Amino acid sequence: MAASGSEKQVMIVAIDDSEHSTYALNWTLDHFFAINPIFNLVLVHARPSATSAIGPVGPLYAGANDILPVVDSDLRNTAARVAETAKQLCLTKSVNDVTVEVVEGDPRNVLCDAVEKYHASLLVVGSHGYGAIKRAVLGSVSDYCAHHAHCTVMIVKKPKTKH
Amino acid sequence: MMMMEEGGDKVGTGAEERRMRMKVMVAIDESDGSFYALKWALDNLITTMATVGEATPDNEGMLFLLHVQPKFQHFVYPIGTAGAAFYPASVVEDSVKKAQEETSAALLSRALQICHDSRVKAESIILNGDPREKICEAAEQMQVNLLVMGSRGLGTLKRTFLGSVSDHCAHHAKTPILIVKPPEYLKKH
Repeated sequence: MAASGSEKQVMIVAIDDSEHSTYALNWTLDHFFAINPIFNLVLVHARPSATSAIGPVGPLYAGANDILPVVDSDLRNTAARVAETAKQLCLTKSVNDVTVEVVEGDPRNVLCDAVEKYHASLLVVGSHGYGAIKRAVLGSVSDYCAHHAHCTVMIVKKPKTKH
Repeated sequence: MMMMEEGGDKVGTGAEERRMRMKVMVAIDESDGSFYALKWALDNLITTMATVGEATPDNEGMLFLLHVQPKFQHFVYPIGTAGAAFYPASVVEDSVKKAQEETSAALLSRALQICHDSRVKAESIILNGDPREKICEAAEQMQVNLLVMGSRGLGTLKRTFLGSVSDHCAHHAKTPILIVKPPEYLKKH
């Protein structure tokens, strides 16, 4: 009954360098793509821009212009690595049709924009599990997305191994 | 004879009830948002997560419908001139409790019917207390694989003052949580 080119819904999974995000991707692959997947999978990685990575030290440092390209290329390599690792993970779970996007910018905006771009029905994010204070200071991407993304949001937390 | 259906491609035939492969809990209250969340879950999760047949150790999943009744405050009601007499609090308490139970029963039976229409096996649970805490507690205690909640789609300011159950659970639940936004919210933006 499945016509080729039938409209599948799009699911976006946010990926970054952390083990929380790897856990989230793993969990999603196991539960949503094991049998009869009805979603098209898009992985989105938000890569920090070089200027934001250097941060406030930048302007004060005399050689800021010199290190900028170095930092930029380093960030690109990290991002490429993250994207490749995630794609490999999908392949091991027999999910061959994956789109991976690396976008420069703040993860909050990048993810919400990606939802618009792909008209995604579902956005999956991991969570660092920050406490209230850390979250207030560092900000929380999962929090922002849960409130602002224009689609259903799933937050997958890696269980804390306390004992 | 026990049959384990793989791939869910036999779902269309017969009137067999399907059960979720994993434990999914859907929080239900009077809001439309929670029923929309239930329908969203049934539409989108069944194909990927449901199976037909008897429960085996591999697929003893279940769809749980959880409703938390807010705790009723016990008040003493003065009646008569200048509070000359007090209406026995227990009578008022009992009648409110009864009304609450009827509302809860009606809600859950409506939810169970929706599941039944989608031919998905579901169980209902009623708890008393603060929905914020009880939902997280229940999800943890029952070791559900996924918690599904609706969202009223309140703006940032309203959410700060009125509080949001889905917000609280998103932060505190230890299980993966799925927050379904209501369609009006999506249309507005």
